Amino acid sequence: MVMDIQFEQVGYTYQPDTPFAFCALKDINLTIKEGSYTAIVGHTGSGKSTLLQHLNALIKPTAGVVKIGDRLITTDTPNKNLKEVRKEVGIVFQFPEAQLFEETIEKDVAFGPKNFGVEGEELKKVVRDSLQMVGLDDSYLERSPFELSGGQMRRVAIAGVLAMKPSVLVLDEPTAGLDPRGRKEMMGMFYDLHKEQGITIVLVTHLMDDVANFADYVIVLEKGQVIKQGLPKQVFTDTQWLTTQQLGVPAATTFAQQLMARGFQFDTIPLTTKELAQEIAKILRKSGEQV
Amino acid sequence: MMDKMIFGRYIPGDSVIHKLDPRVKLLASFYFIGIIFLCNNWQSYTLMFLFTLLALSLSKIKPSFIINGLKPLFWLILFTVVLQILFTRGGEVYFKWGILSVTELGLMNGIFIFCRFVLIILISTLLTLTTPPLSLSDAIEYLLRPLEVVKFPAHEVSLMLSIALRFVPTLMDETEKIMNAQRARGVDFGEGNIMDKMKSIVPLLIPLFVSSFNRAEDLATAMEARGYKGGEGRTKYRVLKWQSRDTLTALVFVVLTVILVYVRN
Ligand SMILES: Nc1ncnc2c1ncn2[C@@H]1O[C@H](COP(=O)(O)OP(=O)(O)O)[C@@H](O)[C@H]1O
Ligand SMILES: [Mg+2]
Repeated sequence: MVMDIQFEQVGYTYQPDTPFAFCALKDINLTIKEGSYTAIVGHTGSGKSTLLQHLNALIKPTAGVVKIGDRLITTDTPNKNLKEVRKEVGIVFQFPEAQLFEETIEKDVAFGPKNFGVEGEELKKVVRDSLQMVGLDDSYLERSPFELSGGQMRRVAIAGVLAMKPSVLVLDEPTAGLDPRGRKEMMGMFYDLHKEQGITIVLVTHLMDDVANFADYVIVLEKGQVIKQGLPKQVFTDTQWLTTQQLGVPAATTFAQQLMARGFQFDTIPLTTKELAQEIAKILRKSGEQV
Repeated sequence: MMDKMIFGRYIPGDSVIHKLDPRVKLLASFYFIGIIFLCNNWQSYTLMFLFTLLALSLSKIKPSFIINGLKPLFWLILFTVVLQILFTRGGEVYFKWGILSVTELGLMNGIFIFCRFVLIILISTLLTLTTPPLSLSDAIEYLLRPLEVVKFPAHEVSLMLSIALRFVPTLMDETEKIMNAQRARGVDFGEGNIMDKMKSIVPLLIPLFVSSFNRAEDLATAMEARGYKGGEGRTKYRVLKWQSRDTLTALVFVVLTVILVYVRN
């Protein structure tokens, strides 16, 4: 099954027909291609989390259509038979540690796959593998998730979603509140999954460096609308626009800009530290030849 | 589902009703509910309905909204009314089947019970729609204060009430979040047989308990850190002030009572 996810004129209103009605998404058109690594950025309250919940039909659009693979989700789609969609699209929510509930870590991680019919040895294996991926060894299996530190709980919760073996992995600010090392490990692990197993990733983040390092497509949300989308190169080229939107610019790009202010000339504006180093090396080599 | 629940929510506004002293509103609502039971003919119920409609229109809240608020309670009302009609006997018999019968008295009682229900719901909805929960609990604290003479912890009760009210929306949000997280892990809430339904509640309730306990602890720490040590000597940020419109309201209720006593048989 092709797992492209497509939004066509999607709108979503919370509590419609009451004085509390709030239009959180308006006329959203976008496509998340199978095998892509899409980043969604935007300020707090811009509707990112609301948009994510459409990706596996947790909420249904109040206007427009969401196509998940070959399933069409509209306002009138019944709540039945959505399990398949939920299995294919796994969501790691903001602060997922709140979803832990079992006595042992093993049982909690097994909860998702068990609901989707995985059993026996296969279940055991998938639990171990998932815990391994988030950096927790077998000694954790029998421990209670509630005696862990916040960061470790986060890892267990993420393992719980990985264990469902989704083909699309949706991450809502997965590293918020983690220490720098944990953040790096997590982001690296997601990227490996993407590269090695071809998993589609949708990442919500405030860190432009993560966008520059990992994403191949960026969607910028503001007040419930898509105000820009495209390749990271395209979105980040207009640094002035990014600054006026107060979205921030990757560290390497800022660095390059400061160099440009002092007379450096870049062929392409670098987004990551690696690209920056290459560009600088190129320039230095050139000037070396001239001398 | 929870979105539709209007009963018990506050809608900000600046109508006369919004501006009334919460103590007056609270007492008046209780008083009104009390005198509803004095009604015993259609004239008295009409009077009460007219009064309620007047109060509702003064509050400037959209009528459709109040009607929507009544809907969730429809089945409860219907059930009570039907029971009343079927099991009260007296007067002319219209219909009989085994122990069930529809009689003149039963029908009348049914209609009256229905009116009482609607009146009580309307007036308490009006109270909560126009009064911020915190003002309500201030009012309750004030009204319970005389009981402190007999060592009744009025301040603590009111604090508990405010905290509880304050965290209702938080808890609702949290419930929705955790439900979504577990649905994403393949739980179908409200599907399958009773056993399945009970089982699907566990992954919801445990995280809710855990986070509630954590939050309670954090809140207690935060309060102590800011020097909270009970009600004694504590001043108020929102000071309740009796105004002429409050006196007027009290007068209106006196008049209402007089008319009511006059029209009932
Ligand atoms: N359950 C809800 N009911 C009403 N409004 C909501 C609800 N959830 C979110 N919102 C509102 O929708 C807007 C978008 O929220 P959200 O999608 O969480 O934004 P983000 O994840 O980008 O911070 C916010 O203004 C928020 O207040
Ligand atoms: Mg969010």
